Amino acid sequence: MRIAVTGTPGTGKTTATELLADRLAGEEEADSEDGNADGEATDLDEFEVVHLNDVLAEEGLYTEVDPDRESKVADLDGLSEWLDDHDADTLVVDSHLAHHFDADRVAVLRCAPEDLADRLRERGETEGKAAENAESEALDVILSEAVDQHGLESVYEIDTTDREPAAVADELAAVVAGERAPSAGEVDFMEYLT
Amino acid sequence: MSQDDEKWGVAHVHASFNNTIMTVTDLTGSETITKSSGGTAVKQNRDEASPYAAMQMAESVAEEVKAAGITGLHVRVRGPGGNLQKSPGPGAQATIRALARSGIEIGRIEDVTPIPHDGSRAPKGKGGY
Ligand SMILES: Nc1ncnc2c1ncn2[C@@H]1O[C@H](COP(=O)(O)OP(=O)(O)O)[C@@H](O)[C@H]1O
Ligand SMILES: [Mg+2]
Repeated sequence: MRIAVTGTPGTGKTTATELLADRLAGEEEADSEDGNADGEATDLDEFEVVHLNDVLAEEGLYTEVDPDRESKVADLDGLSEWLDDHDADTLVVDSHLAHHFDADRVAVLRCAPEDLADRLRERGETEGKAAENAESEALDVILSEAVDQHGLESVYEIDTTDREPAAVADELAAVVAGERAPSAGEVDFMEYLT
Repeated sequence: MSQDDEKWGVAHVHASFNNTIMTVTDLTGSETITKSSGGTAVKQNRDEASPYAAMQMAESVAEEVKAAGITGLHVRVRGPGGNLQKSPGPGAQATIRALARSGIEIGRIEDVTPIPHDGSRAPKGKGGY
């Protein structure tokens, strides 16, 4: 099963998916200490988190560099093939491009645009990057693409505004476990634009 | 109408998943002539991005724009509501059509939707729109 974790840069995808990976690795270890190493599958077997920006850079899966944004323009076909070759029982894909590929469930992380811009500035991004991503978030750009490509029944919107990374990881875990109902459009950040 | 009677402004349309809002400014963008929101036309949240709400909003904005002596509008659209075929926020197209129907001349239509990006971005026409 493939879970796409998408959302505007700064919504906390990498932070939350790293926490999720640590947590699930810990559970796997606990399972094997319980003497469950005799090949009996648990539902956490073969769990993998992929940070797609690392793959894109390491494998050279981009076609050009956007000089205005200092961004590598993704080779979506190449990344899609790479993902198909990396199927785990549960593959979690961390990227603001993750919804462009096949997925069983698509988690869309959200964050109030002012806070998102602050997070990006704190991460050391330029003012231009912070501003364009905040405007994208205010306009629901990624949410709309995700719903457009996967349908309302496969999209799980998660608002991270004023929430600890651990709480966001909890909610991602619920999406992975199939314990969350789909949702979209429950936040409205348009006030940021006026 | 002679050239002298023409007065142009810019309609900035923001079309999101949830809503469509419009601000009309002078050509420099510095003076705001009128502001509106899809939400003012239809109160139920779920309907705010509907073409119907966007159309009603555009009609009321058009009256204010005409009252201010503006005869033509260039349109700057931001947001996925303006482009995605199956988008749940198709407000932008409805807005532009309603402006034209109310007798306002429509000039250049530009898409200035922002592109989410970090170290990477989607190719043009594939996200970012
Ligand atoms: N839930 C959160 N609350 C506040 N700040 C956060 C949260 N999650 C992440 N951050 C911070 O925001 C910045 C962006 O987070 P990151 O995980 O890199 O986002 P993304 O991978 O979506 O671009 C980082 O500096 C991170 O420490
Ligand atoms: Mg990241």
